[in-house]
Amino acid sequence: MSEPIVTVRGLSVDFHTRDGVVKAVQDLDLDLHPSRTLALLGESGSGKSVTAQAIMGLLDSPPARITAGSVRFRGVDLLQASAAERREANGGGISMVFQDSLSALNPVYTVGGQIAELLRVRRGMSRRAAWDRAVELIDHVRIPAPARRAKDYPHQFSGGMRQRIMIALAIALEPSVLIADEPTTALDVTVQAQIMELLLDLQRENGMGLMLITHDLGVVAEVADDIAVMYAGRVVEKGGVHELFADPAHPYTRGLLRSVPRVDRADSTLWAIPGSPPNLLDLGEGCAFRERCDTAVGVCAVERPALARPVADAGSRLAACHRSEEVVHGRA
Amino acid sequence: MTAPLVVTRARRRRAFGSPSGYLSVALLLLFALTAVFGPMLVDKPRGLGADILQSPSAQHWFGTDDLGQDVFAQVIWGTRISMAVGVAASLIAIVIGTALGLLGAYVKRLDPFISTLVDVMLSLPLLPLMILVTALVGASATSLIVVIGLLSWAEVARLIRSNGMVVASMPYIDGAKVLGAGPLRIIGTELLPAVSPLIVVSVLLTAARAVISEAGLSFLGMGDPSSWSWGRILLNAQRSGVIATAWWQTLFPSLAILLLVLSATIAGIRYNDSRDPRTRGV
Repeated sequence: MSEPIVTVRGLSVDFHTRDGVVKAVQDLDLDLHPSRTLALLGESGSGKSVTAQAIMGLLDSPPARITAGSVRFRGVDLLQASAAERREANGGGISMVFQDSLSALNPVYTVGGQIAELLRVRRGMSRRAAWDRAVELIDHVRIPAPARRAKDYPHQFSGGMRQRIMIALAIALEPSVLIADEPTTALDVTVQAQIMELLLDLQRENGMGLMLITHDLGVVAEVADDIAVMYAGRVVEKGGVHELFADPAHPYTRGLLRSVPRVDRADSTLWAIPGSPPNLLDLGEGCAFRERCDTAVGVCAVERPALARPVADAGSRLAACHRSEEVVHGRA
Repeated sequence: MTAPLVVTRARRRRAFGSPSGYLSVALLLLFALTAVFGPMLVDKPRGLGADILQSPSAQHWFGTDDLGQDVFAQVIWGTRISMAVGVAASLIAIVIGTALGLLGAYVKRLDPFISTLVDVMLSLPLLPLMILVTALVGASATSLIVVIGLLSWAEVARLIRSNGMVVASMPYIDGAKVLGAGPLRIIGTELLPAVSPLIVVSVLLTAARAVISEAGLSFLGMGDPSSWSWGRILLNAQRSGVIATAWWQTLFPSLAILLLVLSATIAGIRYNDSRDPRTRGV
């Protein structure tokens, strides 16, 4: 595998609230490789969006505080970088697509105007050239009649079309990394597939690394190369998509996979992981998942399991569970 | 392209379709035209005529003062100064208020300082302060503009800040940051257009207050002694001791102040209401 473009090491983010300190992300390691798709999987509140915001420098502090870690991109630690270095990296180096495309585009400018402005400011293009390039980009994300649509305002587009505009804006400066924060959650299923296909095509064209934040296992199975599963602010399992889906090594991953409804099984009720996510204000000792876990043992309440290989020959797979070897072999 | 135009047109109809809407705008226009063209049509009021202290008649519509100057001519000529001071002072207040309001809304570190400054400004007794400062720098139209402008931006700043904060937390501001936009660019091209309707309202309301401040200061003798303004006509009436008898000398300039302030305020409120779907059709 090639050198990673973005390496996140030991990232920890706290939120200081009136009730105490919320540990939103703890000791997180991630690698993003060119031309590969990393899916960050987890339920609401597991810290996936906070991770993306920390990488992009979008966290408001206060209340958020990055207490430890580094985000290295092209040899620069973005967490220590000056405001100017950060702005230089944003857009041209790392870019981002948001979930809600309506509120993520400025309502008072035409979409073509927004893309053209970006190109004029960041690439020093002339008004004319920037507009032509904006129309090209709108065409590139497969919007019919791009020259005419460029003059439309965000609210005049459908959800799927608007998400394409967001993608056009995000790739306008040809970033080497694109972070997509639940890009298809607000869209219906057929449109979701088109948007994912578009992202993958763009990735194939320019070899950018894609970080996909999602809770949609279907999307993950289709497009991801690697998966990092997050729970309560920590990565609990990491690995290639095929091994991880075939033999999950963490009970949480197993639970997630089991809770997907399937047409080939005659279940009368949907299975769900019992309980609800733990309070991030007070995680206490031990494994954060133990109270919802069907395989928890005594040690789980005392000692938090570290990320480790579930079996000796597991390659790059990692799981944070005391019983991961038994889980991966289906014995627990 | 068409939809926002339609929206704008519909909004304009909502704002100014009712009698209070179009009447206030018509009055404002009338005052503006008077300020620009009035002095060309009406002779400059001259004193020392024989017709002193005459009540309104066909020859002197608003009567004359103790020097025999036509009050109608004074009101027309005074419109120019009163409106010029009002508009110029409100522009100063708008520029300062908008800049500080947006800075406070977006730059979190500056916000406590700006908020405190706004609170201090709002709690100052403004009229005595204006009197003091104008007396110190010397009475002239320019000093009135600067003093009124520099002392009335706080309400604008507060309004713009509170609305700017709503916009600053919109995802498209994060979107701009993700694409590498700096704070100045975000304030200028993302926040400013979003609060621009409020700026329109603020211009009208601040100008109305500035006209009142101008009249008050002129009445207290802080205006330009060589030109007419509505407050100055009132001051002359008071100085010559006819304020109790020559009612026309105080009524007409006061009516002018009242109508201008009322129409500017109503126009501002109508425009503001038209942006709020809850008060639509009121």
